Parts: sequence; C-alpha cells; structure tokens
Amino acid sequence: MADAIVSVPPSARPGEIVEIRALVRHPMETGFRHTQTGERIPRNIITHFECSYQGAQVFRATLHPSITANPLLVFALRATVSGRIEFRWSGDNGFSVTESAMIRVA
Amino acid sequence: MLVLPALATPEALQAALAKITGGANVRRGRVKLQLPPLVENGNSVEFSVTVDSPMTSTDYVKAIHVFTEKNPQPYVINAYLGPHAGRARITTRTRLADSQTVHAVAELSDGSFWSDSVSVVVTLSACIGDLV
Amino acid sequence: MENINLNRRSFLVSSAVAGGGLALGLQLPFGITTAQAAETVPEINAWVVIKPDDSVVIRVARSEMGQGTITGLAQLVVEELECDWSKVSTEYPTPGENLKRNRVWQSYSTGGSRGIRTSHDYVRRGGAAARMMLMQAAADQWKVPVNQLTVNKGVIAHGASGRKVSYGKVAAAAAKLTPPDEKAIKLKDPKSWKVIGKPMKRFGTVDKVTGRQVYGADLKLPGMVNATIMECPVFGGKLKGFDAAKVTGMKGVKQVLRVGDSAVAVVADTWWHAKKALDALPAEWDFGDNVKVSSASIAEVLKAGLDAPQAFVGNKAGDIQSAIKGAAKTIDAVYEYPYQNHAPMEPMNATARYTPDRCEVWVPTQDGEASFAATLEASGLTADKCEVYKIDLGGGFGRRGAFQDYVKQAVLIAKQMPGTPVKLLWSREEDMRQGRYHPVMQCKLTGSFDSANNLTGLHMRLSGQSILASVRPAIVEKAGGKDPLAFQGVADSGEHSIGYTFPNLLIDHAMRNPHVPPGFWRGVNINQNAVFIECFMDELAHAAGQDPLEFRRKFMAQHPRNLGVLNAVAERIGWTKPAPKGRFRGLAQMKAFDSFVAAACEISVDSTGNKVKVHRIVAATDPGYAVNPAQIERQIAGSFVYGLSALFMQECTVKDGRIEQDNFHVYNSMRIAQMPKVESIIMATGGPIWGGIGEPTICVAAPAVLNAYFKATGKRLRSVPLKNQGIELV
Repeated sequence: MADAIVSVPPSARPGEIVEIRALVRHPMETGFRHTQTGERIPRNIITHFECSYQGAQVFRATLHPSITANPLLVFALRATVSGRIEFRWSGDNGFSVTESAMIRVA
Repeated sequence: MLVLPALATPEALQAALAKITGGANVRRGRVKLQLPPLVENGNSVEFSVTVDSPMTSTDYVKAIHVFTEKNPQPYVINAYLGPHAGRARITTRTRLADSQTVHAVAELSDGSFWSDSVSVVVTLSACIGDLV
Repeated sequence: MENINLNRRSFLVSSAVAGGGLALGLQLPFGITTAQAAETVPEINAWVVIKPDDSVVIRVARSEMGQGTITGLAQLVVEELECDWSKVSTEYPTPGENLKRNRVWQSYSTGGSRGIRTSHDYVRRGGAAARMMLMQAAADQWKVPVNQLTVNKGVIAHGASGRKVSYGKVAAAAAKLTPPDEKAIKLKDPKSWKVIGKPMKRFGTVDKVTGRQVYGADLKLPGMVNATIMECPVFGGKLKGFDAAKVTGMKGVKQVLRVGDSAVAVVADTWWHAKKALDALPAEWDFGDNVKVSSASIAEVLKAGLDAPQAFVGNKAGDIQSAIKGAAKTIDAVYEYPYQNHAPMEPMNATARYTPDRCEVWVPTQDGEASFAATLEASGLTADKCEVYKIDLGGGFGRRGAFQDYVKQAVLIAKQMPGTPVKLLWSREEDMRQGRYHPVMQCKLTGSFDSANNLTGLHMRLSGQSILASVRPAIVEKAGGKDPLAFQGVADSGEHSIGYTFPNLLIDHAMRNPHVPPGFWRGVNINQNAVFIECFMDELAHAAGQDPLEFRRKFMAQHPRNLGVLNAVAERIGWTKPAPKGRFRGLAQMKAFDSFVAAACEISVDSTGNKVKVHRIVAATDPGYAVNPAQIERQIAGSFVYGLSALFMQECTVKDGRIEQDNFHVYNSMRIAQMPKVESIIMATGGPIWGGIGEPTICVAAPAVLNAYFKATGKRLRSVPLKNQGIELV
C-alpha cells in the first residue's frame, strides 16, 4: 500500500456532491499498549487531517487513539470548479503525508 | 511527555462533551449514527454519522464529534465541515474496547447541538466474562 | 421462484396473537422441523411456546455441541414452568431475532463453561413468568383467584371446584396477558426442585445415533454450490496471486476466487471437485518473516523468559525472594506445554447466501451473535438484512466461538456469487493448519524449605504466549500489559483462584508471543497451569519426604471446597490403603470456571517405562449445583478422553512458520480400548455461585497421571506430550 490512497471522482457536474475517500498508512499506536516486557509503547498517532480544494480548506478532522490503524475518512464535497484537491495528514513524531487529486467539473 | 489521561468513564465522557458544547443543551435528533449493533472483536468498526441539514451557506453543520464510554479515552474524532461539503456525512473506523454506547454530537451553524447514540455489543466480551 | 421458496421454508417469522410479540418458526430446509405454524402457536414469552396439544417448545440461545447444555437449560426453564417434561422440545432463537427483541435471550456465547452457570437465573425467571401467565389465564377463565390454583405437569387445577385445564388450552389467552413484574417472580427453593438435579435424557441423541442429525457439513440447500479454501499456511502471510486458468477447465469448477488478502477459494458443483481443483491450483504466497520461525526458535524465546528480569505479577504473597535466599534447601524444575489444536471431528464450515438485500448464514457456531457480527461485517449489510441460523456442532472446544473466520470467508465467497447458496467446508488439512492453538508455555518452579523441611515459599514463573494479547488486546491494555487469563487456576481471586495458601508466593508471567495465533482451547490456561503446579506440588512433597495428599492438605485449610473434592477422590480410590499390586496412584486438584475438581488415578507402567495403562480414574466435581447429573458424568468422562489424548499424543509443531500436523494420523486421539473407567463424584454443595462443567476437569487428568508415573518409575516427566519421550497410552 502506498502511504496514502485517495479516491476522488475524476469528473463531476457543477454543484454535484461527490464522495471523497482518504486512506493513509499509519499504525495509530494508541499510547495505551505495552510491549511483551511491560514497557509502555509511546503514542504515535495521526492527530490532524485536512482537505483543501483550490487552496481553501473544506474539511478537517482531529483524530484520537480510538481511530483504527490505517485511518479511513470518507466525507462529501460540493464540486464547483475544475481543480486540485489536496490532502494532508500530520501527527506525532513529525509525521506528515500529502496527496492530491484533480477533479474536472463540467 | 505524554501524560496518560484517565480511562474513559461516563464522567470523562461528560467532561469531554462539556468542553465541546460549553454547557449548551444537546438535543436528540437530526443526527444518525450508523454502527453495527454487534461486532466480533472491536478491533476495527466502521461507522458513519449523517446529519439532517440543508448545508447552505447560512444553515450548515460546523462539526461532528464522536465519543465512546469505555475506550481508554472518550474521544474518537472531531470533524469540521462547512457548507462546501454539500452533505453532512462522515465515515471512519474506530476501535471499541468493550460493549458500550457510542455517541455522535453535531454542532450546527446556529449554535445548536444535536446527538444520536448507539449501543454496540462486542461479542468476544461474552466468552471472557468477568475479566472484561 | 426458488429464492422465495428457500426464504419461506428457511425462516418464518410472523406475528402471533396480539400482544404476544413474535413467535418464530425455524424450519431448516432439510426436513428437520424445530417449530412450525407460527400463526397458531402462542408464545407465552421469549422462552416458552406452548401449542394447543400441550407440547412445549423451550428456546435456548446457547449452542449444543455434545455437552448437553440445551437439555440442562430446558430443565431450568421447565422446573419453574411446571410443564410435562415428556412434551418438551427445544429450538434456537436466531441472533437476528434476539437483536430485534432487545437481546431478550442475552448472550449466545457458548464457551467458558458458562452456558448454565451464567444464565440459570434469567432462564428460570422466564419459566416462572410463563407459569404465572398460564395460571392467571386459567384463573381469569374460571373467575377465581389465582392463588386457589395449583399446577402439576402442565395441568392447572382448582381444588375447590375440581376443575382442570391443561396449559395448551389456556396458552392463547395467557399469551395476551401482560408479563408479571420482575419483582413478583419468586424462584423455587432448590430443596423443592423436581426437574433440576434429575438425570434427564439428552435431547437429540436418537437423531445422532441414527445418523439423522444434519450437521453443517451435511447441509444441502436448493441450487447450492460447494467451496473449499486455502489460507496462507504461514500465519500473517499474504496471497500474491494464483493461476485460475490452470484449473477452471477441471470438472465441475465454477469459480476460483480471492478471499480477503490471504486466501483463495475454489467453488464447484461438488465439494470433491472444488478440493481437487484447489489442490491443483498454482498459488503464490508472500510468507513474510514468519517463515523463519520453528518450534525450536519459539522454545528458545520462551526459555529466555524463564529467567528474564521482567514479568507480570499474577499472584503474590509474602516475600518470595527472602524466602528463597534464607532457605535451607531449594528445589526447582522446568516444565513445558505445547501448542495443541481443537481438532473437532467436523471441520470449520458455513453456508451463506448473499443478495444485496439479504444475507443468510447457516453455521455450527459456539456464538450465534458473533457469527451474526461476522456476517454483518463481511456482507456490509445492515442488521435488518442479515440472519444466522445455528446448527448443532460436530465439536467446538473453543474454535467456533471467539473466531468466526470461516463465517466471514463463506460470506465473502457468497458475495461474489449473489443469489447462489455457497457451502464453504474446510478440508481437514485446512482445519489443522488454520487453528487457533492452545498457547505454548514453559514454567520454572522453585520451592524453598526451612531446616525442618517445611515449605516456606513457591515461585512459579510462566513464560509463553498470551491469548488475550492476540485476541482481545483491549483487556491487556487495561491491565497495564498483563494478561490476567494467563493465571487461570493459580490466580489470587475469582473463578480461577489457587487452592493453596503459601507463606510466600510469587506467580508471574514473562509474556512471549510467537506469531502462531492462539485461542481458547477447552479449559484454556488451566491445562498447563494444572500440570505445572500439581506436578510440582508432588515434587515438593517428595523433597519434603511427605505423602502428596498430606503435603497438599497443609496448605488447604483456607480452601475447604478444594479440600472437599481432593478428600473425596482420595477416599474413593483408597489413598491410605496400598494400591493393587503393580498399580500406582496419583492425584491433582484445581478450581476452574468456579467449579472445584479433583482426580485420582491408578496406572501401571511396563518394565521399559514406555507403556502406560490407566486402569481407573476417580473424579470429583463441586459445581455448587448439578442441574443434570447424567450429563455431568458424561462431561467428566469426556474430559479424560480430551485430557489424556492431550497428555499422551497431541502437539502442534512449527516448521517454516507453519503448523506441521495436518491430519489425524499425526495428531491422534485415544481409542476406546485405552479409555479407563471413570468414576465420578458429583458434590453439589450449593451456595450463591454456580460453577461450570464442560472444561474444569480436563486439566486434572494430566497431572494425576504424571504423578502416578513418578510413583511407578521414580521418573519425573515434565514435557507434554509423552509421545515425544516414547511413552504411549495402552
């Protein structure tokens, strides 16, 4: 699996609401687990996700340790103009991944 | 350094909720939390939250918050959206430490809060009995 | 239309009389009728359906797998219902119905020896509520106060007027009544029980001995196709790809399908055609790093844990370090227990039929609700569109409860063939290679003595695999990384507490988790813990120059029920008198699943030390309450089949990351000629807690025999199974 997989319809009609799926590879280590020898495994999670469309933020989320490994986020977006949709995940230990996709609106 | 928060309890849940709402009244309705009523082991449970909202520039959902009662922490996700979403619906996956109730709260542009709750049975709890 | 027929015949749900809720009639489409004509059958409440001909259907949520639980649970309901036992049958309510009715039948989990002990209260209340409603209906009909009525075997009588009416005649009226308030239900005093405590014959025996019983593996649905599957034999590995073209032309083959990311299945007209094609299918696997793991490498890891500085503490008293340091004498020993497989006679199977509007699964399962949850997950459908129909199991032993991998597979295959019922049946080899194995464990025990040969302390260091870390990590997280289940039978409190009090004690667990998936194997962690502590107690007694029974008793003053069962077996076997010539005795005791169990055995060993004959076993059980003594006796005897097979014959070894034993020729069970006579002593001492039956006794089989073997030969056997040391059961 790549670091991130996003699913955006390649094209949409103006005003159409499209479904966006964003999946990223990450263990989402909760900070509550221990090794077999009893040492606490430090928390290592994605804390923030954001999605921008033509440079403007359209969706963001704060993630917590309850979110399953390889977090999946599905949300909606109203397609207005052709352009780039950008995704950014950031979290503990300086984790940062970006991905983008184009949508053609006509 | 990471400070370990207390395990989620109904009190911790209430506190988390109060932080979001600032003490405002939370009404039941307009929110639909979809979660399977039975899950095998709780390691990964997909759920969605849908809010009944026209999602116009003057009447829209600002945020969707999801909480649990018995996970180590009450929080699952805080999602912030706006009129450009067109539809107030999010889907993601959570861990569930035990059979418990999951709560979804929506914050609307008019400052009102709406919620839905679903009880989930983690079937594996049953065969381990008093250890859980 | 075939589909509609299948649906109608498979499951009928209709509203019964007004106010009576739902009555469900489940007809499996192979001619076995568990209930029918729902429209005319009044449901008194969730537990009880009474037909006009006075026949009574008791609904039981737990699963039957040969342990007799449905008979025992029906006895509990009938005791309070006061109906005629000869007219009773049982049926399984479906998990979907349970959900719709706000989980009225509560847990479906049939494991942890919990079938009866955790539900006796609410099932008896169900029976009592139904009786109260039936009697009220008669009182209403006769216009007399209900307290003037009596009932015997389903016939209600009004003494003053001499009127009588049977349950069947008032059932329809009773079903319309409001159920009594919970607080108004008063359960009988155990002293007046008439059905509980009686050796009722088990339901379903005739069908089983005549071959009429339809198991999941036998199931046939109209238009059904057959599937078999292979998952990556190295645990954690993935399926890279397969060359379907090589087998699609083979006879009967319909589909070759990827199932998830680690398995491939072949669907064909018959199971054998599917199996032949799967065997011929070129498949490529990504085994991953686990391919390097072997039994030897696992044993090395565990061995290191025996002396590791860190371990999770499960039971502690006094100061064991000081006791050992200040000892006049210490002795120690290392024991080991292998991976073992559930190996039920009936391999894993499930039959599924999927359409985008409905997914139905027929499955032998220890937890109908877990199967239902797996169906929801795999189908992606909502609960109102899914249903699971339970079938009696051809063996479960813990494999078919917490793990529903085969259900998910069946649904994932059916989903790729919408509308067609698919029976997925694993081959024996698949069943043996894809187990959820009894965890592997080593144990180092150290005992300290003072100069007068008194035991001053015991340290028991476990090193090995945690089941919960793999299966239910949330519990381990909550316990700060510890697996509380690892201490079953030697815990400081609870249903698996230790039966001794030592001045200084430490029981700790160095958790070492190999990649082999562990599971709840009948008895779970008491199996190895009983071998460790009960054999070492004999070693300690020997070191102190004392009789093993007398030595144990010194530490059991605060454990009267443990002592009760131990004394009972000692007395019955004649411990204080010499054994018959050539025979040697051993004993063991344990508390598990809230029952107290003990065993004493008599064995003989040939001159080579390699042939062991078990002549006699005496087993005592104190579960508090004995609902059906005949079933308990059979469970106890069966426990020795399981326990002795495990002791002498059963081990799963790991080579190249996979399990080597792939069929019964290399994973044997004892035969009838090897089976000793088992004399059981059932001690129902009452009290607030009800103990389990299905699992506890297994664990005392091995230590009792191992202790007798030492008596016979002077040799301690500390590694199981005994076949590895050339020792066989004859």
